[in-house]
Amino acid sequence: MLKESLISEFQKIVGKDNVLTAPEAMKAYSYDGTTSWIHEPDVVIFPTTTDEVSRIMKLANAEKIPVTPRGGGTNVSGGSVPWHGGIVLAMTRMNKIIKVDKENLTATVEPGVVLQDLTLRLMKDGLFFPPDPQSFLGATMGGIISENAGGPACVKYGVTKQYILGIEVVLPTGEVVHLGGRTLKNVVGYDLLHIFISAEGTLGVITGAELKLNPLPLAKKTLCVVYDDVAVAGESVYHVLENGVIPDKIELIDNWVINRIEEMMPIGLPKDADACLLFEVDGIPEAVEKEAEKIAEITKKYGAKEVRVAKDADDANKYWMARRAGFAAVFGKAKTVFAEDVTVPRGNIPKLINRCKELAKKYNLEIVVLGHAGDGNLHPAILTDINNKEHYDRALKAMDAIIEGAVEFGGVLSGEHGIGLEKQKFMKKVTEPAVINMMKNIKALIDPNNIMNPGKIWE
Amino acid sequence: MKDLKELKKIEEFSNQCMKCGFCSFFCPVYQEEKMETSVARGKNFLVKQILAGQQEFTPEMADIIGKCLLCKRCAANCPAKTQIDRVVVAARAQLVKEKGLGAIKNFAFRKVMANRKAFGKYARLMQKFQWMMPTTEGKIKHLPDFVKGLGKRNFPSLSKTFLRDQVKPVYKPQNGEKPKMRVGFFMGCATDFVYPELGLKLIDFLTRHGVEVVVPEDQNCCGAAIYFSGDLETGRMLADLNIKAFKDLNVDYIVTACGTCSSTLKDYQKYLPDTEEQKERYTEFEKKIKDSTEFVIDILKIPPQDFKLRKEFEGKTVTWHDPCHLVRYQNIKDQPRAILKALKGIKYVEMPNADMCCGMGGSFSVYHYDLTKKIAGKKMDGIKATGADIVVTACPGCMINLIDNVLLNKMPQKVHHFLELVE
Repeated sequence: MLKESLISEFQKIVGKDNVLTAPEAMKAYSYDGTTSWIHEPDVVIFPTTTDEVSRIMKLANAEKIPVTPRGGGTNVSGGSVPWHGGIVLAMTRMNKIIKVDKENLTATVEPGVVLQDLTLRLMKDGLFFPPDPQSFLGATMGGIISENAGGPACVKYGVTKQYILGIEVVLPTGEVVHLGGRTLKNVVGYDLLHIFISAEGTLGVITGAELKLNPLPLAKKTLCVVYDDVAVAGESVYHVLENGVIPDKIELIDNWVINRIEEMMPIGLPKDADACLLFEVDGIPEAVEKEAEKIAEITKKYGAKEVRVAKDADDANKYWMARRAGFAAVFGKAKTVFAEDVTVPRGNIPKLINRCKELAKKYNLEIVVLGHAGDGNLHPAILTDINNKEHYDRALKAMDAIIEGAVEFGGVLSGEHGIGLEKQKFMKKVTEPAVINMMKNIKALIDPNNIMNPGKIWE
Repeated sequence: MKDLKELKKIEEFSNQCMKCGFCSFFCPVYQEEKMETSVARGKNFLVKQILAGQQEFTPEMADIIGKCLLCKRCAANCPAKTQIDRVVVAARAQLVKEKGLGAIKNFAFRKVMANRKAFGKYARLMQKFQWMMPTTEGKIKHLPDFVKGLGKRNFPSLSKTFLRDQVKPVYKPQNGEKPKMRVGFFMGCATDFVYPELGLKLIDFLTRHGVEVVVPEDQNCCGAAIYFSGDLETGRMLADLNIKAFKDLNVDYIVTACGTCSSTLKDYQKYLPDTEEQKERYTEFEKKIKDSTEFVIDILKIPPQDFKLRKEFEGKTVTWHDPCHLVRYQNIKDQPRAILKALKGIKYVEMPNADMCCGMGGSFSVYHYDLTKKIAGKKMDGIKATGADIVVTACPGCMINLIDNVLLNKMPQKVHHFLELVE
């Protein structure tokens, strides 16, 4: 519990309406998008300016109160859960799109801007922000930057860090600094900008960002390619890429997901198929046509059973709706779901898929494979039930083994979700002690009192 | 262990939420308040806490579950298909069970609205005194300054003669031929007291199209405001009265000009049943209910191009506002648009946020008028963007709120029911 006098100090800074202390509100800020990481804060504060954030941080630092910045709370690693209580700094009311600069293809935003709101705004100017975390309906820019989020379009466009030119950060001491800038090239000293991107809110509070934008592609085309063997589908990914076509998305769904989709919203996917790959190509219309033809040709050559080309935008949308529904289906079918985020170099996707299949057999579990095949980022999902101890223990073992497999195949344990609370025990296993040490030293340097999102990344 | 009967009924819906938070994008209340207790995910989490015995119905909790428009925009877009409307209604019902309704609602719901005669009597009393209210324009009045606390609300005056005093029990088809079907007319309170001409218009329209219309005298309020506030007991009483009123009339359908009424009557089976017998009876009743918009297109099968525009609307630009109770509760969105697009003499422009709630939410606007105005403000932006002269809809509830906010925003638009546009 925080002292009454402190609460009234916070109220003086941001106004009474921007401070919550009711027990019900604390419960509502105790979770994120994960299933089981829950901890209540002592107070929720909604700053509306950088200056307010700075004043709150000064006070928190002096009193050594933990501060957990939180945007839409859509993250799936426990990252925005206030694990040590204290303050949740809810950035959702700092949500202005300050400027869209068509000439320089940039935008200046506050951290609470929701990605979908940004997308809709940019569309008016024929622009877009390419990173596409699938939580775009709720995820805020501050969180997207802090988690270095990515999505399906990573194959062609990369992840968040490639689209952040600069940020404004309030340090734990309350000092306001500007990292990076507004230019595409910038080599002035250490690249501190990229230490804050993916820091999961453990180094400071992002209060503004300069984004790099792209012009919206003029055309898009979707192909659905059907396979008898999910590993062959995995191989197809690099055959397409090595033949010179870079689709903006390559998504994989396995037999289990195909069948759930056909139950929920039948779109005529073959129920006996072992897997489907969804390709999307974008760009200028002529190129898009050619690239789609090329994908059809290559995938057929390398063992695809059938290639379906979406007739029009509505038809294409059907496939992408199905892909999203497939992900939701996973959660609907089990009490507890481990949604893994392992990522391997693309060439090793078939190996990782096969490993998942072996583990499913070995531990007698349902392991669903879907994810962003195009960038090697799979989300194998293990269906289990936290209340069934014996089953749950098997699931835990399988999860460990999947992560070990990913590392064995040259990959990492998290591609886009981050470490947060969920992946801490693996972090230690797969990261050199010297590297962890370096990270901890950086943390201590910037946040000497360890008030910024404590309890995250390291155990 | 406490008896959480009402919540137990919806536990499975509540468990479906996977906390993705996508609801935040669709929730009009969250979009204004930007806090987790406003949005479905937060409310659902707290309801689960009650179910787990870790949360009580505190005044804050009551406020949180009260602050929902039940517009169902989140539910319609939920990847996990969580029926949060049922969770919210059940939580309100549980609250009413535990803490009672409170004096004001108890009087309004149980002593006034639940009794047709009493409701009429009180409405007439108010009608007699409404001359005291200042006039905004025409038939629109607003609250006087001395009740400023409630905001300067504009509202249409209560009609001099209520619909109930103007209708006949039976209307034969106007062509004098054998009726092609027999339809019961459900008037609803707003049509009865505020827009009686709307009811007469519907009766006239139906009888001109060969339909026989019967108007049972002992029909009651549909119960929307009552059961959506958690008073399921009074809701069931009204459901039973309304079912009884139409039971022996041998009608093929029951039609209403109010989107909220049609959805409320259809959804007795969803929100109210306590027993299997009730479930069956309410489901049987649902099959007969048709909103006027779907009835004229889907049942009477009038081709949209056959509708004729009333002279006074010649040359106007119109736009359509989707009432929540039509677009999401009943999936009615194409029928009214088909009519408006086909009507010769007007130009139809689609509103950018046509399916967005107007902010009324029944009694929501009574308790959270400031939020209502903000949410309606976004609706007004959408209306402005169309450049329309007329906003068309099919729910008197929406009409009352749209009129208030058009006037508050000093906009020139007029608000009409689609029945008013056609001959």
